[in-house]
Amino acid sequence: MITADISQSDNVVPLDKAMAPKRTRLQEFWFLFRRNKLAILGMIIFFFFFFIALIGLLLTAGRHPVFDPALIRLQEKLRPPLAEPNLETLLPDEVPAFGVYLFGTDDLGRDVFARMLQGAWVSLTVGFVAVGISVLLGIFMGGIAGYYGQHQVRLDHILAIGLVFLGAAFLAMDNILFGFMFLFLGVCCALYCLSRRKTSVRRAPFNREHLLGTNVFSIDTLIMRIVDIMLCFPSFFLILTVVALLPASIYNIMIVIGLTSWMGTTRFVRAEFLSLREQDFVMAVRALGVGNFRIIFRHMMPNAIGPVLVSATIGIATAILTEAGLSFLGFGVPPPHATWGNILSDGKNFIFDAPWLTFIPGVAILIVVLSFNLFGEGLRDVLNPKLRERS
Amino acid sequence: MTIRRVLIIAPILVVLILLQSYFWVPTYEQQTRGNPNRLSEFIAGSIGDASLLNPILSMDSASSQIEGMVFEGLVDRDENLRIRSRLAASWEVFEEAFFYINESADIPGLGESDPKRIADFLKEAKEKSHRFIPQLQASLDRIAEISVIPPRRFQVSRYHRTKSREKGEAPITFDVEAPARIQLVLSEVDPDFFQNLIFLFGKDYFDTFQGKKYIHPDFPIGEKELAAFADELLPATEHNPVLVFHLRPDVKFHDGHVFDAGDVKFTYESIMNPGNLSPRVSDYEPVKSVEIIDPLTFRVVYKRLFSPAVISWGMGILPEHLLNREALEKEALRFGKDPETYTMRQSTFNRRPIGCGPFKFREWKSDRHIILDRFYDYWEGAPNYEKFVFRVIPDLLTQEMEFYAGTIDNYGVQPYQVKRLEKDLRFQNFSGLSFGYSYIGYNMRRRPFDDLRVRRALGMAIDVNKIIDYVLYGQGERITGPFVKQTDYYNQGIRPLPYDPQGALSLLAEAGWQRNKNGWLEKNGKKFQFTLITNSGNDLRKAVLAIAQDAWKQIGIDVRTDILEWSVFIRERVNKLDFDAVVLGWQMGIDPDLYQIWHSSQTNPFQLNFVGFHNAEADDLIIRIRQEYDYGRQVAYCRRLHEIIAREQPYTFLYVDKWTAILDRRIVIKKTDGAGNVFYEKIRPTKTGSYTFHFNKWIKLPKEPVFAADG
Amino acid sequence: MLSFFGRSIVQKIVTLFFVSIISFLIIHLAPGEPSQIDPLNPKFTFEMVERFRKEFHLDKPLHIQYLYFYRDLFTGKTVSWKDNQSVVQKIWDRFLNSLPLFIVGTILTWTISFPIGIRSAIFRGRFFDRSATFFSYLLISIPGFFFAYILIIFVVTRFHVPVIGMETFGLGDTSMLNVIMDRIWHLFLPSVLGATGGIAVLSRYVRSQMLEVEGQDYVRTAKAKGLPSEQVHYKHALRNALLPFVTMFGLILPGLIGGSVIIESIFSWPGMGRMAYEAILARDYPVILTVNFVSAVLVLAGTFISDLLYLLVDPRIRL
Repeated sequence: MITADISQSDNVVPLDKAMAPKRTRLQEFWFLFRRNKLAILGMIIFFFFFFIALIGLLLTAGRHPVFDPALIRLQEKLRPPLAEPNLETLLPDEVPAFGVYLFGTDDLGRDVFARMLQGAWVSLTVGFVAVGISVLLGIFMGGIAGYYGQHQVRLDHILAIGLVFLGAAFLAMDNILFGFMFLFLGVCCALYCLSRRKTSVRRAPFNREHLLGTNVFSIDTLIMRIVDIMLCFPSFFLILTVVALLPASIYNIMIVIGLTSWMGTTRFVRAEFLSLREQDFVMAVRALGVGNFRIIFRHMMPNAIGPVLVSATIGIATAILTEAGLSFLGFGVPPPHATWGNILSDGKNFIFDAPWLTFIPGVAILIVVLSFNLFGEGLRDVLNPKLRERS
Repeated sequence: MTIRRVLIIAPILVVLILLQSYFWVPTYEQQTRGNPNRLSEFIAGSIGDASLLNPILSMDSASSQIEGMVFEGLVDRDENLRIRSRLAASWEVFEEAFFYINESADIPGLGESDPKRIADFLKEAKEKSHRFIPQLQASLDRIAEISVIPPRRFQVSRYHRTKSREKGEAPITFDVEAPARIQLVLSEVDPDFFQNLIFLFGKDYFDTFQGKKYIHPDFPIGEKELAAFADELLPATEHNPVLVFHLRPDVKFHDGHVFDAGDVKFTYESIMNPGNLSPRVSDYEPVKSVEIIDPLTFRVVYKRLFSPAVISWGMGILPEHLLNREALEKEALRFGKDPETYTMRQSTFNRRPIGCGPFKFREWKSDRHIILDRFYDYWEGAPNYEKFVFRVIPDLLTQEMEFYAGTIDNYGVQPYQVKRLEKDLRFQNFSGLSFGYSYIGYNMRRRPFDDLRVRRALGMAIDVNKIIDYVLYGQGERITGPFVKQTDYYNQGIRPLPYDPQGALSLLAEAGWQRNKNGWLEKNGKKFQFTLITNSGNDLRKAVLAIAQDAWKQIGIDVRTDILEWSVFIRERVNKLDFDAVVLGWQMGIDPDLYQIWHSSQTNPFQLNFVGFHNAEADDLIIRIRQEYDYGRQVAYCRRLHEIIAREQPYTFLYVDKWTAILDRRIVIKKTDGAGNVFYEKIRPTKTGSYTFHFNKWIKLPKEPVFAADG
Repeated sequence: MLSFFGRSIVQKIVTLFFVSIISFLIIHLAPGEPSQIDPLNPKFTFEMVERFRKEFHLDKPLHIQYLYFYRDLFTGKTVSWKDNQSVVQKIWDRFLNSLPLFIVGTILTWTISFPIGIRSAIFRGRFFDRSATFFSYLLISIPGFFFAYILIIFVVTRFHVPVIGMETFGLGDTSMLNVIMDRIWHLFLPSVLGATGGIAVLSRYVRSQMLEVEGQDYVRTAKAKGLPSEQVHYKHALRNALLPFVTMFGLILPGLIGGSVIIESIFSWPGMGRMAYEAILARDYPVILTVNFVSAVLVLAGTFISDLLYLLVDPRIRL
């Protein structure tokens, strides 16, 4: 391949350029990716689903949407797919678009097609926001652990944080006096820490300060312990507990799913950062005097983002399934939002009377989740150089 | 290559082992038709497991179902909802009435007088005829005995609220010098007795009794507080209804022990024991004392008029010999627990109960099944079924499939399924009205719900019949008021609100709401807008919510909806009265007491009249219903109360749902007539809607019989 | 070596302590109260609700409640609020019910994923590999309960045999063998459903491990010296690829107490997951917290065991 490139190139180009492959990284990914038919299929469905979700949002929103997912026509309940509406009993407003129930109607006579359209967007949002939260949190925690890992947490830091927390706890328990007292103390302590950092160089510390300045553990340990703690909770059980105890709302579900699934990403990013930090190019950039911030985001992140993308793609799929599972137990996204998960779990009661209410969302979830997974898998194959086929 | 072979053979082997087990499993056919024992057992499917099998400790429906079979009460209700005898063969209700001699009041024609003379005066009055005052005549005729209680002195301690400490209560002791008192035994309970005596004693005789003159606190307290204590310690008049139960002889518990009045007393005391945390305490709070007269006679005295008194003794009777202090202590020692703190709640009795009901407990496997055997010594004759099985299947869909296969005999059938199964010849189905109703309640403290016209209009905009037809699949009926529809208390004469959006609009226009150019209703530039909430986990309410929202949107009201988790819904919104409108339901008892839900004293936060309904006449009726022992009069009061509530529309009363049940057609009632001939009857729900009323007579036959009666 | 153990154990205990605090806070700070305290029951007066709260220590400040709870837990005195049974006993009963499901599921997962994973690695990119990929992702992409219902309806209507419950109800007195086989049959569907996810994930993992090892020099050497390819794959490559899986044995430990709520509800299996779920619904705090605590202990024990195994298996790691 490379030889072919050279033969085609002009003699004019400098030597170093001629040696390098002509393809950019992206092109190379595409080249490798293209050979994985399943992944391509997955990607096509993936983007098609996006498209549907967007269209769905446009067609079902507003006061007089083209497809009204909330419109109840009790006299038209449980009509099979492709059934013609009974025009005599309906007001002109209530007749579905195209004059046919594409996917039938549910137990309240709502148009399943409209609900699926609306649900596509909501399901996608749930997946995206949940995964967004988990990825951002994961990158943040992992980045800090990987990059600032050896920085030490001192006793006074803990004291400050402890006091602030205590204050917040008291406030939460309606004990205003103690709450503010501790909060105030905490803030004082924090200010003290900050000031000490600057002055400690100048002054020789005396004994008491020495004690406060003891290094307790590194930031890396701290973050990895937090990860350990989070991993101790069985995740579906934790999600269920929180969702069952909190008021049902779409935001709670997204946040909870997000907050319980960031640990993998953190571990990933940390490992990646630990190895990247020691690499020559980072060393070189640092020697040039580039700031930490820029090093992290400009130089290290692009190299670590690949696996995160993969896990995010698969994470969205998992989040959609988790939401469906929660819906089954009655804790899914509450109405008026339709999601594929709650259409499916509402429909299962009618499996003998109206099988389409189960099969349409069930198969739709299956296809979309499968495509996400295949797409993610394809990405993983391409991004992991170790697994690349020897050509 | 061995590794490779192992890797291939191992999974195949595992899967084969799993698959071959199929050939060992009995098919449904073998389990049902092929199994003759199946006919003599009834298997009930249930979504959830029971919690505690102790009638005084648990209230959940699964536990109650089992308890109803294992335990038996003194009385219960018959097919027509009248009280019938069970462990009590009969009972009497009469009354002891008391009043204190009012030394400061004159009796017309007698003047100021001593107790003896007043008693004689009453006796004379009883002899005389009072033709012109029939109610007095009736009351006097009820007097069976008159006696005088001489004055006495005693000391009592009470707690009173102090101002100094925030929520402290300080003990306080009263020296009471009670004046003489007249005790009257009335042959029947007579709530109006003292009102009628006024004709003899003069208008002010009972009102002017100064109780606070006779009580002397050891610590000075306010005049108002003193009066309150006086009312409690020395009430001018007092009704003490008395209930005497004559128990059935030779009734046995499942372990052979003979049932007697001691068990009844023990059950009562266990309920009242604070350590047991019994949820039934409130039913027995008005009891003043209980007494065993002889092993088969049990007497209960009530503090005040309390019309649901008799039926409250329908709770299952516990065996004293297994649960009394000694038995519990012995049990505690056996398990190495502290006997001091060991209560009935901890006892293993709750997992293997013994009562005197028709079925005897055999086995309980948590979340799997509870098995009961028939009790041969049941006093009314052993049931036909040999076994009752309560099988836990948490998923409705798999329950349904098990039912079709015949491995369970009933299941939580849904209305839409009934529709499909109606035509199936294998099954018989039942339905009847349940005891609960659904409603939309408006917070009448808030605008615009304080306006009757608005409440009516909101009700008229909703097509309740449509909800019943399509959401409940016809399995429901409209309801217009707060009573159980199949009882006499319900006023059948009241018409439900019509479905009339135009009428609603004109009512709203009367109240000042006009449509603006966007089609929304407006008054003084403010849009008609509110939030309708309900709890999560109830699909019917969810549907009602959606339909109401839609219906109100049609007439231009902007309604937001919110579905909240149950405990949040109750604690944060309903209890704190922070809502505009709610979709909810009440599960009613047959008893017509509506005090907690409709009395105006119950409108504070954390109380059940959360919509804030208040109406003076209604309040009066509610109190009267509570105190009236006469069925006819109680019914009259209830119907009037129903009328008032229906007029005021604090709720939009929606529907009472029908329960549905489905059984195999081969399950029938088997009876034996006097000559010992066996005959069969079709199962029919009773008038009040319990199809399991004759459960003890049920049996499953190999095929559907020819029915003796109408076929 | 000893210091490694010591440090690791101390670390785990500290983690456990924080887990206990966090789970306690999540449950107690969430709005709502146990269902025994139903404020909308006309029979419950305010005083009664208060009495229940007192009985459950709910009127005490949080830290006192925390101490009470863990004191009871460690002395084995915790009782469920719902039915006053000992929580430890309850969990143990449910654990015994869940155990067969877990064992069969694990056996299925591990025996099936290895051959599939290895074969896909060997025939990378060929038809077998592609269809294995496709099917394993297909299996994890179906919403679990949807799949379960389809399977149940299929088996029940086609074969007319019971599938739900732990055994055929009312089997009565038959031979021991019959009972065992009956139980195995009832294990079959739920464990297959429980294993699908595991099979998909594990077989993918096996595949990637194998691929990684197959790229190593010593495999190339083995190939080059003309060893039969079977020997290369199954002896040289597989042994090295297996290394990480040994440690995974430790990590399946938490699965013991997991149990899927959904599968257990559908199959009427009285297992751990359902008990925990019902406890959440009833807000039976002692049960929720104990289950959480036990599972945290298992997770930590699992990681400890897997560290240990790693130490034993991998000669490159020495402390």
